[in-house]
Parts: sequence; C-alpha cells; structure tokens
Amino acid sequence: MAKLRLMITKGNPIRYISHLDFAGTLERVVRRAKLPAAYSEGFNPHMKMAFASALAVGVTSEAEYMDLELTEELELDRLKEQIVSQLPEGIELKAAQYVHQPSKALMALVNLAVYEIVVPLLNDAAWDVIENSVQNFNSEVEVIYTKQTPKGRRELDIKEYLAEPAVAKPLQDNPHQVSINLAIKIMPNGSIKPVEVLAALIENFGMPVDKNAALIHRSGLFITDGKVRRSPLEVQ
Amino acid sequence: MHPINTVSPAILSKVLKPARYTGHEWNSVNKDVNADLVSFVLAMPDVYEVGMSNLGLKILYQVLNNRPDTFAERVYAPWVDMEAEMRAANIRLYTLETKRPVSSCDILGFSLQYELSYSNILNMLDLAAIPVESTKRDESHPLVVCGGPCAFNAEPLADFVDLFIIGEAEEVIGEVAGVIAEWKKAGKPGGKAHVLRQAAQLQGIYVPSFYEEEHNAAGRLIALRPTQNEAKPVIVKRVIKDLDQVTFATKPIVPFIEIVHDRIMLELFRGCTRGCRFCQAGVLYRPVRERKMDTLVNYVQELVDNTGYNEISLVSLSSADYSCLSPLITELITRFKQQGVSVSLPSLRVDSFSIELAKQVQQVRKSGLTFAPEAGTQRLRDVINKGVTEEDLTQAVSAAFSAGWSTIKLYFMIGLPTETDEDIAGIASLAQRVADLYKQIKGRRGAKVTVSVSSFVPKPHTAFQWFGQNSVEEIERKQKLLRSLIKDRSISLSWHDARTSFLEGAFARGDRSLGKVLLRAWQQGVKFDGWSEHFKYDAWMEAFDACGVDPEFYARRHRETDEFLPWEHLSAGVNKAFLVKEWQAAQQETFTADCRHDSCGVCGVCQDLDVDIVDWGQK
Repeated sequence: MAKLRLMITKGNPIRYISHLDFAGTLERVVRRAKLPAAYSEGFNPHMKMAFASALAVGVTSEAEYMDLELTEELELDRLKEQIVSQLPEGIELKAAQYVHQPSKALMALVNLAVYEIVVPLLNDAAWDVIENSVQNFNSEVEVIYTKQTPKGRRELDIKEYLAEPAVAKPLQDNPHQVSINLAIKIMPNGSIKPVEVLAALIENFGMPVDKNAALIHRSGLFITDGKVRRSPLEVQ
Repeated sequence: MHPINTVSPAILSKVLKPARYTGHEWNSVNKDVNADLVSFVLAMPDVYEVGMSNLGLKILYQVLNNRPDTFAERVYAPWVDMEAEMRAANIRLYTLETKRPVSSCDILGFSLQYELSYSNILNMLDLAAIPVESTKRDESHPLVVCGGPCAFNAEPLADFVDLFIIGEAEEVIGEVAGVIAEWKKAGKPGGKAHVLRQAAQLQGIYVPSFYEEEHNAAGRLIALRPTQNEAKPVIVKRVIKDLDQVTFATKPIVPFIEIVHDRIMLELFRGCTRGCRFCQAGVLYRPVRERKMDTLVNYVQELVDNTGYNEISLVSLSSADYSCLSPLITELITRFKQQGVSVSLPSLRVDSFSIELAKQVQQVRKSGLTFAPEAGTQRLRDVINKGVTEEDLTQAVSAAFSAGWSTIKLYFMIGLPTETDEDIAGIASLAQRVADLYKQIKGRRGAKVTVSVSSFVPKPHTAFQWFGQNSVEEIERKQKLLRSLIKDRSISLSWHDARTSFLEGAFARGDRSLGKVLLRAWQQGVKFDGWSEHFKYDAWMEAFDACGVDPEFYARRHRETDEFLPWEHLSAGVNKAFLVKEWQAAQQETFTADCRHDSCGVCGVCQDLDVDIVDWGQK
C-alpha cells in the first residue's frame, strides 16, 4: 500500500463543474491511467481518494490536493506520465509525491485557503469608493452574514474566518476590474465561501461591483500555524 | 476561425448546471476549421444530459469525425433558464466544441427519438437564428436533416426539414457528408438544391419538398407523389448488413457532469423479431443482427481504456436474447473484475431470464430487476403477441427473489386493442402475486414491487397502426380503476399523463397538416413537452383549434387497412400485407413465432433488403 498526493489545478474550461463532478472526473482519470488504485470492500466498492477542500461550482484553482491510495508503490515519474496523458482540458498536474504513512487526512491538515476574486466595477464607480468599503470592512470587529442553506438560515461572523485583512487593488491590465485577495481559515467547525465575503462587501459595505460577473480563483491551500504557510506537499 | 467564448460568467453563474453549456469534455473532438471542411452539427432536441446519453449520436459523432473531410460538433436544447438568458443577451445557439454559431455550419442534424420533442426543434432553430420553415431559409442557412425512429413518419415535420435519413445512419450519413464535401470543393454549384437532388438519389434519403400530397374529393389523403425526377416513389430504409464491420462508439465523449446513462453502452445486436405487435422498434430495426462476442469484448476493452467508466450497460432491444449472453457476461466479469467493472442489464424479458444469469450479474453489483409483462392477462398478452406466460414470470421472479433480489419493477401498458376492465384487474393481481411470491420464498414481507403503467400509443409501421387510440378520459378511468385495485403497501404504482400520450398519438400518425399546428403551438410558447412541468396541453389544443385540425382524427380514429397512410412512401422493409395479417392475428389472439428461431413469417425485410438474420448462437 502507498499513498500518493497530487497537486492539481481546476482551470477555466471546467470552472462550472461541482466538487462531486471534479472527483468523478479524477476517478475516471485514475482508471484510464491504469494506476493500481485501492478500492474499498463491499458490494459498492469505491476508489480510495480524498481531497483537501471542496471547490464550489464556478471557482477555479491552481492548488487542489488529492490523496490516492495505491496497492503498490510504482516509480513516480512513470505514474506522473500516465496521469498526465489522461487529464482532460482544465486539469493540470503540478506535482506528485508519496506520503509516508501514517499521515493525517488532507482535510484535517489544511486550514487556510487563499483566493483572488476578479470582479468588474459597476458603472465605472470611483476607485475611492472601493477602497472605502474595503477599509470599513477591515476595521469592523464583527461582520454578520446570514447564510441561506436548505436547512434554514444561519448567522455567521465573517471576520472570525478571515486570517488577514482583505486587500483590493485595480487589475493591472484592466482598471475597470477589481482584484480582491482573501485569506480564509478552514476551521473544524467549517469555513466561509469567498462569494459570501464578496456578498457582504457589496451588501453591507456598498462595494460597487457586479457580483454575478465575479471570477473566483483559489490560489493556494495551506497548513499554517499563524506564522508560516506550508503546502500539503511540504507537510508529511 | 478562432474559438470564441460566447457566454459570459455573469450568465453562466446564474443558470442551473452551467457545465451543460461549456464543452471541453474528454474525447470531444476539435478540428482546424477551413473552408473545405464540412461542418456538421449533431443535435438532440432535449437537454444535455438526455442528448449526451443517446447511443446513436455517439456513434455518428465518431463516424463523422473519422472522416478527414468532416467536422462534427454537438448542440443540445438549452434548459429554459439558459434560453431566457441567451435571448436576453442576444446569444445565438452555439456548438459545444468551437462555440461558433450553429447557423454558420453546413448541416444541422436532429435525432428524433420521440414526438414530444418536436417543439424543441423549432425552438432550437429559432435560437440559432435559422428560420424554422424550410421555404423561408436561403443559401446562407444550414441544411436541416432529421433521423432516428420518428423519421419513419416524417410528414408532421415536412415543413421544417430539408431531408430525412430513414433507417440506420452509420453508412448513409457519411455519403451525405461526402456529397456536401464535393459540392463545397466545387464552389457550391446549384446551391443547396443541388445537394438535395444528389442526396435524394441515395438509398434511405427522403426530401419532403420533392413530394406533394394528393387528396380525394372528400379531402382524404390518398398519395404522396414525387414532383422531381430524383425523388423515388418509395424510400426504403438503410440497414447495416454486418454490424461487426461498421464503426461503433468506442471513444465516446465522457461528460464532466452526470448524465442519464453515465456508463459504457454496449450494443450487443440490433433488431428484435419476437414480433410484439405494439412495438415500433421491432419493425424498424428488423432483422436481428448480432455482433460477434469477440468484437464486443474488444469494444469493452477499448471503452474501458478510453473512458475510465467502470459500469457497462448492455443495450439492445432485448439484451437477454443475445445468443452468447452467458459466455459474454462471464468473460466480461472475469476480465474486468480487477478494475471494479460491473455489468448491468436493462429491461428483461420474463422468459429469457435464468437464475444463472441473475447470479452472474449479481457478482459485482446488485440493482433492482425490471420485467415487462406489458399486459395483465394471458388473453391480452396473446393479442399483443407477447409470448410469455404467467408461469414464465413466476419462475423468473422466484429465481430473482431466491438469489437475493427484493426490488422488482414491472412494466405494463394500458389502452391496448381489445382491452377490457378484466385486463386492467389482471395487472393488479399479477403485481399482487409477485409480492406474495416474495413472502412465500423468503418467509417474510419486504418485497418492493413497482408497477409502471404507460398509455399505449399506436405507432406507424406496426400491426396496430390502424387502431384508434383510447381517449384521455378512458385512459384516466382505467388508471383510476387500477389505482383502486392495488391495496398492498409493498406495491407502488406510477403512470403517465394521458394527455401527453394523446398528443404523442396525434403526431405519431399525423400528416403534413400537423406542421401548421406545431408552428402555431411553438409560437404560443410550447417547449419541452416531454417534461411534465413544461407541458402545456391547453396551448396545444388551442393551436389545433386555431388551425382547424382535429387531433382526434389522427389519434383516436380507427383506420381501415385499405386507407392510404401518410408514411406509406417510407418503407421499413416490412410489407403491408404482413402487418395486416398480424393485425388480424391480434383480433384472433393467435401467436406468431419468432422468425429467428422458427420459420420465416415473410415480413419482407430479408428478401427485399438483401439482408440476413445474424445469430452467432446458431452458426
């Protein structure tokens, strides 16, 4: 038995697939690549694969992590080659390495997600309005956001989940677009979605941007002690 | 031409399942578009998940894209939310591969799987900014072609379609692409009319504008006459003689999102000569032609390698009739078990099922079993020539229960010719006996019996094509009666909306007069008629009324066998005399044997189409 950890991307061509679809796609990649994947026992055997953190429909990422259990430890370069040859458009393999057991589940390790949101200004709104709303947002101790779930309404304090102040700046090659950087904690009791932070910025702090046209990108997933950020590939 | 991104994130973030509209799937094909390349768009007038599940389109995608002179792309009906966004933002219907407008392609082909999808064809043409009526289109618009089972009665769509493919398309679709390729290379001499004249000379191609209706003094249709030299009086279907020699969908597109049939589809054979008298597919796909077991096993190897799927569904009209089924399943299970691959069989005939088969399939994964007795009494099963007895069902179900199954689905039809309330009661008692059987075998309750009842719609080219369909009220009365007769809590009952079956019935046996009704109804906003939440019965009835067309004339009316039928110029190879004989045999409740194992019933297919039954169990 061996555990393989992959760092992969979810690119623009597959931006609109769900986490479940992303996982299903990778399962088929693994089977096409003929990796010696391990399966669970029982009538409905499933491939032993696990992800660090689910990505929402519409969100891209350059740093997704997936653990895959194999029945034997094959040579890494050959494995990578086999995987790469079967990846659909929109998924790139950035790195692969064996994780020496025993190790904690990816989901239990990762505790910080970093996002970049690119969103157009509404009607060419003035830049200082954007700056103001971000400043006001950052200076609040508590920002309550009401989450609408199928189970009902739930109130969350967004600030509790933010590891750092939000940063907004004009996009270099297009000043009509704002780039917003967020560092969001993934805690044992859950997390908050970047789109929810954006909604709060718009609804509670009057940020003049077009939420529907926002492009959200996850630029990193980390394990942090509050000072140093390490990727799941650095921690074993 | 560069690929363009037509749809903005602002739109895609608002619609349900946006990945329906973004493409890039594994095994989807892209080619460098140039002026000589034939641009073929394969379309299904239904949503992505339905269209992507159609085996015929998967095969044709591979057949066309194997040709260096052709590039086939796909388009499906946008769901209503996406349609609204597209109309608001003035986005034309685009292909999934290159995202270019469908209207910029040479030929747009729709698969006709059921009559209730016709309104979506008009809607998709309109979304593509292509005039829906063929007479209003010019040289700048693509040719519109339709194929699939419903093309065997093409007349209701004659106003909208330039040409129809009658029968199996693997070969002829390439011939059509070849005609267009040559025509484009030559600088499109004679315009699209030239292509139609060339195509009309190919076997299996029907160009409706080359024919006109002839009526008698009473206004009844008496003929469809060719008006051009190239038009044949009768268009005979295309049929593949040797299925081992044609392209199969071994490299199908693997979608990112879950579709209806999200697994490997393995077609074991084509055709079924059991001779059920209600069954249109049983006539259209005659004769039975099996693939060799070796061919099938090789296909599965390729399919597993190319897709990464771990589930194989054996699809054929009656898969359990495959002569080498048991060795095939054994081979598939042994060979692919390591990779966690499972095999599933859709609907089973009750007589060809065995304990052995049940256990074989069960080895990897167990799902519910489906049987189709079709009618509740032996008398009615004899009328429809469903050659199974209650004894057969009892044996099959007992075997299934003993082997560990507890979920059984039973398919029935109501509204069949000669049906009485006794036959309806027979459905309830048959279901009850199945539920009781479980208790007998297992010594406890716990069976789950699902009774699914559809309303019979008489179809062209069948022995029942002369039968007057039951009225909506009569079907609803029978549904209610059945409901009242099922009392056991382990039996659940589901049925179809009688009104959709009535509309389906009118279009199934309709003629050209229905074109104006379809146009009017679409203008009034009908679409996705097969989806109950979108079905607008009143809008349809208003359209019939406004056009002065009586739907009952087509659906409800009993026809005499000497009446000219609107599909008589389109031949499935089965003689009218054979169908008349079968229609009479139905009234007399006499059985006609399967010509594949018994003597030839002289339906005419093998003789007239120069094709043979292929059965590897007997050779």
